Amino acid sequence: MQPILKVNLTTGETSEYIIPIEWERDYIGGASLAARMLYPILTADLDPFSPESPLLFLNGPLSGTAGPTVGRFVVCGKSPATRLWAESNCGGFWGPELRFCGYDGLWITGKARKPVYLWLNDGQLTFRDAAAVWGKDTYEAQSVIKSDIGVPGIHVLTIGPAGEKGVKFAGMYCDHGRAAGRTGLGSVAGSKNLKAIAVKGTKKIPLTHPIDFAPLRSASNRFLREDTVSQVIHELGTAGIANYSDYLGGTPKKYYHQGIFEGVDKVSGSAMAETILTGVSACHACVVACGRVVRLEDGEKRKGPEYETIIGFGPNFLNDDLAVIVRLGEICDRLGMDTISASNIIGLAYHLFEKGIISEQDIGFALRWGEMSGVEKLLNLMARREGIGNIMADGSRQFGAHFGAEDEAVQVNGLEVAYHDPRGVSGMALVYATSPRGACHNKSDYFLVDWGQADTSIGVQFIGRQAGAEKSANVAHHQDWRSVCDSLVMCLFGNVPAEMVAGLVNAACGYDYNVNDLLRCGERGWNLKRIINNRMGLTSSNDKLPKALLQPLADGPAAGYVPPLEEMLTAYYQARGWDPETGKPTPKKLAELGLEWVAQDIWK
Amino acid sequence: MTVKFPSPEWLQTLYEKLNSDERYAQIARKWEGDILVVIEPSGPLNEKLFYYLDLWHGKCRKTEILKDLPSIKPKFILTSNYENISHIMKNKLDPMQAMLTRKLQVHGSMAYMMRNVPTVLDFVRCAREVTTEILS
Repeated sequence: MQPILKVNLTTGETSEYIIPIEWERDYIGGASLAARMLYPILTADLDPFSPESPLLFLNGPLSGTAGPTVGRFVVCGKSPATRLWAESNCGGFWGPELRFCGYDGLWITGKARKPVYLWLNDGQLTFRDAAAVWGKDTYEAQSVIKSDIGVPGIHVLTIGPAGEKGVKFAGMYCDHGRAAGRTGLGSVAGSKNLKAIAVKGTKKIPLTHPIDFAPLRSASNRFLREDTVSQVIHELGTAGIANYSDYLGGTPKKYYHQGIFEGVDKVSGSAMAETILTGVSACHACVVACGRVVRLEDGEKRKGPEYETIIGFGPNFLNDDLAVIVRLGEICDRLGMDTISASNIIGLAYHLFEKGIISEQDIGFALRWGEMSGVEKLLNLMARREGIGNIMADGSRQFGAHFGAEDEAVQVNGLEVAYHDPRGVSGMALVYATSPRGACHNKSDYFLVDWGQADTSIGVQFIGRQAGAEKSANVAHHQDWRSVCDSLVMCLFGNVPAEMVAGLVNAACGYDYNVNDLLRCGERGWNLKRIINNRMGLTSSNDKLPKALLQPLADGPAAGYVPPLEEMLTAYYQARGWDPETGKPTPKKLAELGLEWVAQDIWK
Repeated sequence: MTVKFPSPEWLQTLYEKLNSDERYAQIARKWEGDILVVIEPSGPLNEKLFYYLDLWHGKCRKTEILKDLPSIKPKFILTSNYENISHIMKNKLDPMQAMLTRKLQVHGSMAYMMRNVPTVLDFVRCAREVTTEILS
């Protein structure tokens, strides 16, 4: 791999960090490698908003090549929302451009005396005054910085006002509205007075065997073009799954408390394609092009929403107005807030209002399902930490706790649950309960496996969508594979066979890995993140689901069912080789994975 | 009566089933469009088969065994090899699983398909129910 550029914002010092070769082999890149690099630093007493708190941006060995869906980078650190391991990956062009600068990552610590942005021009880093963009939204900030620098082809990663104000679900944004949305690392950047990072490079991506790589990446992209799932995502965006998800009871409505909402059809990817869609957008070298371009009544072209944003601002509020969803998604992107967390927290406000736990006096206005003006007001209040928004900006767990109703919040370990209901697709129960970053749907998009996307080459079988403990080992296998994807950093929408991925990694890195070797790397990364979290205080009691998801719905396709989480967890710990009492990886498992060196940290 | 898949008799029986099944009529009541099922030779099947069905508002207006792709493109073309199709017919492979795992290719409007998956699944149910024997 290329060096990592270390930047201390307090002192202005920079240095190059060379990744040990054995770490590259063991962790591949991306999030798993970041876990290895940050292991000594991520401790229980580290304040995520302290200058010592790291922000580590990493690519993978395929990033920036013309391989299949590998235009992403990941940013890692300690989450202010969960106070656990944080990672969030992002598409667009920023990650590849960083590699074109001759660096595979940026490792940022310290705190600038006043707001700055970084400008990395090939190998040259300069600190620039961010006074002119501090307070600006993410779209404006990107535009101003580009014209300020004045070099064509720049890509800017920035935070919005929410990140500046320490909103704990603030993200980082590039290439218009591509987001590293989850776990609140935008607010970590804000705490460092770091507004943005602009990059432009001209160097070549290093490949060990370029002659072997070229035909493989052509074949994999050809494969993607012919793949039906890729065609669905290309034509309909990720919201193309909305109708089928709803049909199986996997789409939450009314803050996870209602099973039927006819309006899902009006806001699905199909509906968007038939009404406001005017084009598509793609990340670096991606043939899938899941991004949506839409046009509303004002005639302006806008980013169209993906599945999570559509459900979060649609059925979650019993709203079936797609144009309103588009606008609310844009407000989140501009203010720099994750749409999943933001819509979830406001959903909780509506829910608490309906239950009489909070009132008009607390909020300043009434909240009624289907009325979306309240959502827009609350988005703005949260981003600016004004009024009730100041409490909501700390996340749903703290918001609920403030009103004595923490158990009403649909979150796990401080991260709000995404919009795949485990009562419709039970694998998601384990995914949410055991994800290293809280209730994340991307550490395993197991809902797709529950629909039938069972890839036997990674050891995953198709088991009924409302099955229980019999799918626990399957979930662990799938998490290991997605951990590989997070190392590469490869998009989950790249439905490429595992053998093909192994071939690409081998050609890029000079390895001789088979799929099982990759899975072992994924398992190692998954366990290391678990250990980091164990060290920061996570125990088996954290592996849980919120109350709402353990209550049966009265109607709809998932009516009457709740996932048997305890049984599933018992089988999961067994499959993982984790101690059934503490949920920690056993010394035997650590030895199997070459992680003996951490045993003393968690088994004192 | 034995209805062996694939055969002209099987297609005729499916035609009758689709026009008499109440559940299908209800689920597919909004469906408008013809489909062509292309079965690639594999295993015991030596020739490529083209089964055409014109489906409209919960009924089947026409079926035909074609010799090749028709000049007028149908709304959907579903393509798979015989092994996968026979697994679907034997209820060993879920149709969505087949699509998600690259065992069944779908060509046509994805917007229409994704909002009408229940119709397709019920069409498969009817196809399974009329099948008493499968070429092996």
